[in-house]
Amino acid sequence: MANSVVVVGGGIGGVSTIAALRAGGFEGDLTLVDAGPFPYDRPPLSKDYLAGNTEIKDIALQTPQWYDDQQVRLITESSAAALRTGLGAVELSDGRTVSADRVVLATGGRACVPAIPGSDSSRVHVLRSAEDADRLRAVLAPGARLLIVGAGLIGAEVASTARGLGCEVVLADPVSPPLSAAFSPDVAAWLHSMHEKLGVTTVRAAVEAFSETAGGISVTFARQNQAQTFDAALLAVGMAPETALAEAAGLRVDHGIAVDRRQVTSNPAILAVGDAATYGAEGVPVSRSEHWEAAQYDGHRAAAAILGGAAPADSAPWFWTDRHGVHVEVVGALGNADQLLQRGLVGQPPFSVFALQGGHVVGAVGVGDSTAVRAARRLIDRGVTVDPAQLCDPATDLRKLVRERSTEGK
Amino acid sequence: MKHGIRVAALADIPEGEGIAIDRAVTGTDDDIALLRDDDGCVWAMNNTCTHAEASLAEGWIEDGYVECPLHSSKFCLKTGAVQGLPATRDAVAHRVEVSDGEIYLFPRQKS
Repeated sequence: MANSVVVVGGGIGGVSTIAALRAGGFEGDLTLVDAGPFPYDRPPLSKDYLAGNTEIKDIALQTPQWYDDQQVRLITESSAAALRTGLGAVELSDGRTVSADRVVLATGGRACVPAIPGSDSSRVHVLRSAEDADRLRAVLAPGARLLIVGAGLIGAEVASTARGLGCEVVLADPVSPPLSAAFSPDVAAWLHSMHEKLGVTTVRAAVEAFSETAGGISVTFARQNQAQTFDAALLAVGMAPETALAEAAGLRVDHGIAVDRRQVTSNPAILAVGDAATYGAEGVPVSRSEHWEAAQYDGHRAAAAILGGAAPADSAPWFWTDRHGVHVEVVGALGNADQLLQRGLVGQPPFSVFALQGGHVVGAVGVGDSTAVRAARRLIDRGVTVDPAQLCDPATDLRKLVRERSTEGK
Repeated sequence: MKHGIRVAALADIPEGEGIAIDRAVTGTDDDIALLRDDDGCVWAMNNTCTHAEASLAEGWIEDGYVECPLHSSKFCLKTGAVQGLPATRDAVAHRVEVSDGEIYLFPRQKS
């Protein structure tokens, strides 16, 4: 068993690793190194925090007291400079070293910056950290012209927040509707259509160039002759895993820090969790679930691996997103279904869509329909078969259905 | 029993479901969720999740826990103790008693 663990990165993956280590009985030295003022939660950065409804202290992942109670040495405004696992230590950016039998890399990712000319302008933003959100918030005055490049989860959430602040928002994406595989086509189309209804202009185009002008930033869209001028642009086109430390330490990196099912990297003393890590089955990287809960589960698995205990049970991946006043949740996968079943009417929340494969639920999306998504998760995890007619009948009590079907399976 | 507030009949809450009792009835800062576990027992805690504006009475109730309908933090039905992020604070639990099929609530008053 390890005597000292250093976790690098205080996002949900890093903090969950620490919490799970202590909950699992780890009594050794535990250090968390984070670049920010303290570990904070990132989902609000595109929503309430960006809107100015909450302050940074309100989105702390844990209270200061918690780190004391858990006997965690929290080193903030710092980062790891090098992993010296051969020597059982991590070297920090300020030159200090911290002893570590095991290192957990929870370094997250950077916002992707596509090779668009002019994207190095100070008017072009990205959104990963609270500093990014602060910088973006400063330009979101009423009437400000904001271009959002990419209508994925972050782009759509920022469009909603910026519109709520009274900005003139243009949301550009070459794909229409975006997120069709994640949400299922009808739900994706309806969700995307909300933007226009709420006063966001959606443009089906890629951006070819940015150029600064006296009063703003001029944007050239593909296949459009006339450039448009904005006060600011946000690039919301995905993230790239932060692997520099891992590469310098000689770890195997393939679309992220390669880990096994227990989050262990190619060096048995180093683990990786969250957005930085990529699990590969037989050496082939499996698509990463770049979501909050996936990072939390990674942390639980990493802690179990360090403690030498049984890994926690797997559950279908789950995420949520909020835009234009609706709460959307997805569990499992909707992309490869034999059958998509609507429960309620798409476009009239609450409603949900279940994805079935061979009589089993494999995914679900719910809009304002948390119960359906939680029911679906249990149906997926427990592998029970369901009657499609029962499932999509809004009169069916899904809690009761899950309870009955789960008991039958036992 | 005389100090409890009769708030509902046991038959009003199916197993695995919850209802919210208005703060005007309970005299507390928050509405109180009556949560009936899948074993039939009824528990009570403040209805608003300690993390965000969500009603725990609409959560998923199973095996001694309620799961918040917004971000899935879990709370222990008996004690209100939070089980995992994103919530970090325990929910305030209240005492309930069931007598002759009636549910009586003993709200813990603010200190």
